[in-house]
Amino acid sequence: MTVKSLWFNKPRLLQKIKKLNDHLRKNDGKIGTFRRGIELNYNNACNLRCKYCFTNSPKGDHVKDFLPLSKVKEIADEADELGFIEWDLQGGELLLWPDKLFNVLDAIKPERFYLYLTTNGYKADRKMIKELAKHGVSRMSVSIDSMDPKVHDEMRGRKDSWRRAMQALEYIQEAGMDPYLNITVGHYNAKSEDLRLLLDYSKQKKYKTLINVACPAGMWNQVHDVVCDEEDIEHIRKMRKEYKNLTRNLWNPFDNKYEKIMGCTTVNRIYITALGDVLACPYVHIKIGNVFNQTLKEITDYGFRIKYFRDYSPLCLAGEDLNFIKNFNSTPGKTIFKPVNAEDIFSKDDFVE
Amino acid sequence: MKNKKKYIEIFIDALAIDKSKFNEKLKYNDIPEWDSIGHMTLMSSLEDGFKISLETDDIVDFSSFKKGIQILKKYKIN
Repeated sequence: MTVKSLWFNKPRLLQKIKKLNDHLRKNDGKIGTFRRGIELNYNNACNLRCKYCFTNSPKGDHVKDFLPLSKVKEIADEADELGFIEWDLQGGELLLWPDKLFNVLDAIKPERFYLYLTTNGYKADRKMIKELAKHGVSRMSVSIDSMDPKVHDEMRGRKDSWRRAMQALEYIQEAGMDPYLNITVGHYNAKSEDLRLLLDYSKQKKYKTLINVACPAGMWNQVHDVVCDEEDIEHIRKMRKEYKNLTRNLWNPFDNKYEKIMGCTTVNRIYITALGDVLACPYVHIKIGNVFNQTLKEITDYGFRIKYFRDYSPLCLAGEDLNFIKNFNSTPGKTIFKPVNAEDIFSKDDFVE
Repeated sequence: MKNKKKYIEIFIDALAIDKSKFNEKLKYNDIPEWDSIGHMTLMSSLEDGFKISLETDDIVDFSSFKKGIQILKKYKIN
């Protein structure tokens, strides 16, 4: 009998995860310049109208653009060679295009990666989820805003979205994939009873909970009062120890004491838009290259030359570091499709050789 | 197994479980702490504790406390 988990049936992936774990142990628990993941906005169309969408999907921004399959395949092959571990496929809402999505999955060859799909769950029925599991998807992350269906549906702009999302999580678990409940946490809800109810629910269901801190980007561009303050951050850290099923991208996932922070993962987890632009992260709308003009290695090497992305930061630059937000991530009109070029916003002194 | 005491200590420490939760029939996924991520922490702790480097196949096959004893024999940990 072998270990029963989808990603354990992927020996190439297991080697890469071991490499990350070894890297963290040798590097004082810090992520450094390890190339960890790719977040791909394959297409930006969505069936919901979320108030805080960071991709401006409700405004219809570039909803007809898709990254060509041949380019996805090329990126995936290079990503594997460079040791990238994970892909997060997202939109928009990719379940609007199941055939296209399955083609993308085949192009990526999921047997090499921890591959997951971030979805609002609205169209994730049992049949679809089983099919995704067959195509090598290891995890599905479903965004939930509240334990109160009304609050969630209002935030998402569509009735019945809460019920469908919660149902989807059950199907995901049933299909043997990792069910993740994604929650956005800002100053407005960090200490709320509603958040605690959500965390309790996730734990009781044996899901994982991914916490994304609220970032003043996309539809929330310039809305700085959503940002968690120091007390909120400390509160989230305490909940990490208490619940033990919470994850954040900057936390060390291997830390069994639930304390260590491997650092902000800008450039470690790049964000690629349907136009091929590569941003430092989904919430830092600063362009470090384009996959049609450069290789992933060239793009990430360039990104890591920027000291803010290279140096260790225990704070999420986009959602917790007010200095970074004010100085570099608050340009009016900036979106994932109209990012600021890195060379235009950083000075020469901000680049290291 | 001469190193059994050390093996058990590493198990308990790596998975961060209470001693009362441990028993020799423990299998992967029996407890929330021994999930896929906990498994990697356990493997690293065994590597550090016994100064060995586990092969990928052995990491996959390491499905229970007892199976681990057999696997460690390959690395001359008896």
